[in-house]
Amino acid sequence: MAIYIVKRLAAAVATILVIMAITFFLMNTIPGSPFLTEKSTPQQIELANQKYGLDKPLIVQFKNYIVNYAHGDLGVSLKMQEGTPVKKILFGQGKFVLSIKLGVCALLVAICLGIPLGCLAAYKRGTWIDGLLRVLTTVGVAIPTFVLASTLLVAFAVKLNWLPTLSGSLDSWKAYIMPVISLSFYDVCYIAKLTRTSMLDAINQDYIRTAKAKGVKNKWIVLKHALRNSLIPVITFLGPLAAFIITGSFVVETIFSVPGLGKYFIQSVINRDYTIIMATTVVVSVLVIVMNLVVDIAYKIVDPRITLSSTDE
Amino acid sequence: MKQAFAKFSPFQVDPEKVWADYELNYSDFEPATDAEKESVSEVRQSVSYWRDAARRFRKNTVSMVALFVFLAILVFAFLGPLLIPYDYANQYRSSQKLGPFEYSKQEALIKSIEGEVDCMFATALQPGSVTALDPGDYYFKYKGDTYSFSLDAKLADSVIVLKDGDLSIVKQSDISNGQIKKSTPLEYTSEVPDGAKQLKVESKVFPHVVGTDSQGRDILARTMYGARVSIIIGIVAALIVLIIGSIYGAISGLCGGTVDFVMMRIVELIYSVPEVLIVLLLQVVLKDPLQAWFDSSNSWFANALSTLGAGIVSIFITFGLLYWVTLARIVRGQVLMLKKQEFVTAATALGASNGRIIRRHLLPNCVGQLVITTCLQIPAAIFLESFLSFLGLGVSAPMASLGSLCSDALGTLTLYPYRLLFPGAILTIIVLSLNLVGDGLRDALDPRLKK
Repeated sequence: MAIYIVKRLAAAVATILVIMAITFFLMNTIPGSPFLTEKSTPQQIELANQKYGLDKPLIVQFKNYIVNYAHGDLGVSLKMQEGTPVKKILFGQGKFVLSIKLGVCALLVAICLGIPLGCLAAYKRGTWIDGLLRVLTTVGVAIPTFVLASTLLVAFAVKLNWLPTLSGSLDSWKAYIMPVISLSFYDVCYIAKLTRTSMLDAINQDYIRTAKAKGVKNKWIVLKHALRNSLIPVITFLGPLAAFIITGSFVVETIFSVPGLGKYFIQSVINRDYTIIMATTVVVSVLVIVMNLVVDIAYKIVDPRITLSSTDE
Repeated sequence: MKQAFAKFSPFQVDPEKVWADYELNYSDFEPATDAEKESVSEVRQSVSYWRDAARRFRKNTVSMVALFVFLAILVFAFLGPLLIPYDYANQYRSSQKLGPFEYSKQEALIKSIEGEVDCMFATALQPGSVTALDPGDYYFKYKGDTYSFSLDAKLADSVIVLKDGDLSIVKQSDISNGQIKKSTPLEYTSEVPDGAKQLKVESKVFPHVVGTDSQGRDILARTMYGARVSIIIGIVAALIVLIIGSIYGAISGLCGGTVDFVMMRIVELIYSVPEVLIVLLLQVVLKDPLQAWFDSSNSWFANALSTLGAGIVSIFITFGLLYWVTLARIVRGQVLMLKKQEFVTAATALGASNGRIIRRHLLPNCVGQLVITTCLQIPAAIFLESFLSFLGLGVSAPMASLGSLCSDALGTLTLYPYRLLFPGAILTIIVLSLNLVGDGLRDALDPRLKK
């Protein structure tokens, strides 16, 4: 186990290096410079380039990034808030914190609602509850986040006036409701579908029949025997879910005017603020990679039969 | 002996009777005719894999309904624009910001005027002229004849123009670039002159079913066009994924060993890339170089791509770079399973090259899987495209996709929610129907998966 984790961490570091290289290459191919404005003279641009080390050869610049990141130094913003350390921008003023708050809430809702709904559908298989949930989840995975989010906005904020239109920096609990619902709806539906399928799969297994024969109550069969064994596909989905939730949060942040990471990233790309682009990409990659690792370890805990050393199926 | 016979006989045998007591019906022992043989024959023509799958698919009511819904959407997107008189890119003057089924004041064609004036438009070529065309009866003299026409509030586009306080009549051919080249003054009277010829006023103008946007473009027409763009992007992106993914997966699975190891590490790397960030970055990176290439190159390929626009092409490139990995894994898994089977060994023994084995033996055997995955890839691609366009990347104006329409409508969401909800609903229906068709295909093509 320990060896496995060490191996995976080494792979993660390598992955992050590759991602940094890709990001670095891509952002330097964007035409233009962070210092190019209507007023700036070539001398000013040159001076600014010298100041932030952008006049050096690309390979040296890339090396500097790696060395600085290894020391935990994310550099300073080049344009959007010139001179401010990126760390302070991303973590200090809440950009990242807001996105993470939304993301974690949505993740919790997705798990705490999706799995029970899936169980309920499997438990009540063939009844109207199952049918209703099936229709709901099938439609749910087809609704794009932005359509759902704007429908909610129109219905609850504009027409009914129950909830605030702008969620802003998520000051009250009311501001959370719509962004979290829109962010987690797809995942609730997907997890419920997944749980139902794998639960029905598990119910047909021999050990369930044995449990029934022993006289275990139906409820306990579902909750104890079937659920644990049907969780593996659900856990597999939770890894990509971290990425999904960040994806969705870009749109949700736009619609509910939350000054989160997503919006900031797009702005930084448009402004060619190299250090912020790099820092955001690396922070999100680390998050995704760590989530994947946690998921793989969670597998092992749920199903001890899974061997972690081989990644082949 | 009799007892033993009775045991095996399917008929009720009376144990008291002897065998000879049974009356024999001699006709039972005549050879059967061909027709009789046919009627009890259990041999049927063998059903091919595809016919069997089609039969299973047809039995699946939900998928069949979804298929028909999708076909209806296709008709809406591809034939719809022929049925409505509005164009997706045209900005209809003076009909901005109309609600569903609303008409602008000047939006009616006055048709069928006899004589030399073949088409009349009462349009606000100059600001302020609208007020002169309030509903009511109008009379005017033209070439000695007096004409009359009535206008209701919703009417009027074209010929009658208020210029310098006078009503004048302008032929459509005399209007170019919004400038009037030649006009004939109209005499405006309040009483019906004798011998006035009644003009037919076409009051039924095709409505803007979902209204117009702030630039006066018809939203229904734009949605039809957007749906077409989205569907095409979805299909092309899915095909790109199919080609790259299946070739990559097949090579990786067939070669095995170090090649497989390296190729699968690359797949894992792409898996762990936060794709959205890279996609956003790629979109911005690719836009300018692509545009430059379109402008400089004259080859048919560049021309074809430039009609699509840099945004769409970079979506395709993004799919080609990042989204084939799932399919590659599926194909690799299938190939690993297939390559141990005898027919592959036989092909190898006969000296077939790896390329031939992939083409002739491996890929045809995973075709079911490929069809399923590709079909489910289309809605995924449409989702991604709409997401990118919604964020202002991807498709750019005057082109439209369902995502960019929703994005355009976001600014006025609180005032005109239907502008976002209509294309959003179409998008949802497309994705939903394709998902259901894909599920149906999976059940039909891969019966092992069916529970």
